[in-house]
Amino acid sequence: MNPVLQTAKLAVGYGDRTVVGEINLQAAKGQLICLLGPNGSGKSTILRCLAGLLAPLKGTVYLKGRPLSALEARSLARTLAVVLTERPSPGQVTVFELAAMGRYPYTGFLGRLSRDDLAKTWEALHLVNAHELAGRYFGELSDGEKQKVLLARALVQDPEVIVLDEPTSHLDVKHRLEVMAILRKLSRAKGITVILSLHEVDLALKYCDLALLVKEGKILAWGPPEEVLSEETVSALYDMDTARFSHCLGGIELKNSGRRCVFVLAGAGAGAPLYRLLNKHGFGVATGVLHENDIDYHVAKALGAAVVGERPFEEIGSGALEQALRCSREAEAVIDTGFPVGSLNRRNVELARRLLAQGKAVYCLRGREEAGCLYEAEAARLVFCSSPVALVEMLSGEGANSSRTGCNE
Amino acid sequence: MALPRRARSLLLLLLFGGLLFFFFVLSVVLGSVKIPPEELWETLFHQGGQVYQKVVWEIRLPRALAAAFGGAALATAGLLLQIFFRNPIVDPYVLGVSSGATLVVALLMLTGLVLGGGPVPPYILSAAALAGAAAVVGLIVAVANRVKNVVTLLVIGLMVGYLCSAGTSILIAFAEKEKLHGFVLWTLGSFSGFCWDETLVLGVGGAIFLGGAYFLCKPLNALLLGEDYAQSMGVKIKMLRVLIVLFSSGLAALVTAFAGPVAFIGLAGPHLARLALGTSDNRLLIPATMLVGGLIATACDLVARLAFSPVELPVSAVTAVFGAPLVISLLLRRGTSL
Repeated sequence: MNPVLQTAKLAVGYGDRTVVGEINLQAAKGQLICLLGPNGSGKSTILRCLAGLLAPLKGTVYLKGRPLSALEARSLARTLAVVLTERPSPGQVTVFELAAMGRYPYTGFLGRLSRDDLAKTWEALHLVNAHELAGRYFGELSDGEKQKVLLARALVQDPEVIVLDEPTSHLDVKHRLEVMAILRKLSRAKGITVILSLHEVDLALKYCDLALLVKEGKILAWGPPEEVLSEETVSALYDMDTARFSHCLGGIELKNSGRRCVFVLAGAGAGAPLYRLLNKHGFGVATGVLHENDIDYHVAKALGAAVVGERPFEEIGSGALEQALRCSREAEAVIDTGFPVGSLNRRNVELARRLLAQGKAVYCLRGREEAGCLYEAEAARLVFCSSPVALVEMLSGEGANSSRTGCNE
Repeated sequence: MALPRRARSLLLLLLFGGLLFFFFVLSVVLGSVKIPPEELWETLFHQGGQVYQKVVWEIRLPRALAAAFGGAALATAGLLLQIFFRNPIVDPYVLGVSSGATLVVALLMLTGLVLGGGPVPPYILSAAALAGAAAVVGLIVAVANRVKNVVTLLVIGLMVGYLCSAGTSILIAFAEKEKLHGFVLWTLGSFSGFCWDETLVLGVGGAIFLGGAYFLCKPLNALLLGEDYAQSMGVKIKMLRVLIVLFSSGLAALVTAFAGPVAFIGLAGPHLARLALGTSDNRLLIPATMLVGGLIATACDLVARLAFSPVELPVSAVTAVFGAPLVISLLLRRGTSL
């Protein structure tokens, strides 16, 4: 299939300063393509060039096989529309009027809207779910609503390609997902090629067909995000040494670097929120014994915690148990997160009981009754905590008054 | 709002037009020689009293027309530049047009170098002011295409203005006292003493530029979103820049040449029109701004002439005294941004 938008040895920049060089990309009909890279890497410059707002320094941008520079302004505007980072402040312009401005390349000398123009504007406003805002002034809208209206305006241009510069920045979670879902819909249902810059690696992974990774004037990688966004590439892309991207979880975890070490007995997701909490408060985290198919295992790995693992669906073996014992001996405290106990991981309780017997402090997030069943006589030596937050306060030494923090022995 | 916005806007346009006509008639009939309204028609088109005929045809009518046209021209110039620079406190003189005119006029009136010290005939004064203004317009249009963004152009305009003002203040420092009074009065602006030739030049030139401005309403609407968006919709931005600067500065130059730098109308006229209409759609806003500008100028010129007759007040003072509170109250009542 012929690419809708294509660049050949494109170099973009200002004056004689090249910002990014050697850009070769092909965008087919209906693809959702994102540009990822740190601030100042040149994503916006590339997008401006693709949109024809900036002349290339070298190379050519082809729109449906024809060089961009050879296209007449009106026919370019009928094929390609933009949504820019800056939010315009057009004064006393209603949402409908603003969206209808997208008809510019179709209307006559004075910009009179025909019935068809009006219908297209309403259709676009409905599509982005902004039709109820139509009568309001654009300046009165929230950031998220403004972005949807600007998207509608681009859509009203009836384009085959939409170029968006950071369409999700300054938006709350709901609007961010809504905007991405609309873009997805445009590319799938209407066959519009969408090219955008993003800051959220997870959104790129979840929504985009292709990703272009830009760093320090070079293209780091180009391809499907599932292939391109490996943990190493993402770390290199953003020079991250305090955080780590997890391909499996599709998100960023902050790297664990705390000094005071605690050992967390976890499993089945009981550990993940606690790891993050401990990490935030500056504790070093060690955890086990976790099955390698456990969600806690992946989160702990992404955090860079010391993990004692066991093969999937195997009962915890003596090797792993010994390793966990050694590991927890160095820890300041041991925490029982209240993980579900079953036949495959019941030796984690045995681990806790042995530690208690050795005189180790074990903090427990279970109810007293449940703990009584599991720990039997040793339950008396547990320190019970009502919530993870109370536990961390206690560990941090802030909880001098134990009744206030909700922990008691 | 009971009426749909569009119908309401058209009604307001009619209202502005009616008010303009009302003050225009008042301007013609009121003054040191009062003309009874029932004799106006007679005086205008048939044989009325000799004195009435002379006063109306040779003094009041050209002056009233000049005020109406001048006000429309200034307000429209202000509107164009406010959109262009996306800045609500821009006025038609921001690019240095009036400063250029003032400098050349100062050269003529204060030094006496050019004409050997005698009083300067009005038509030479107008020609000089026009030349000064045109020189600045030419310079600005020439750079309009080269600058990266419009703010640079704005700063260049301001700098040109400062340069010209510096020249003017040096001339003032060396000027003779008697000549200074006349010059200062000129810088305050006035529609007095318009003759038919001048009105004709202002009217024809103004009509051309005002028409040109109206034909820009579609790209001007696109420009409300900023230059990048406008360009992405197919606006030829470089051409538009030159046309906006040419039309707005041309309008300002024409008025300045004959009436001196009349202040405030160019700044407040567009705001009043926009706040009254509640829209930035230039298809409605440009005609409304023309009418409002003409209305302010006509009404204020009337007050300037009559309030302390026979002493005539500077029209800029009257426009500000009446206009500023009006703009402020409209802004506060609307509670919206410009």
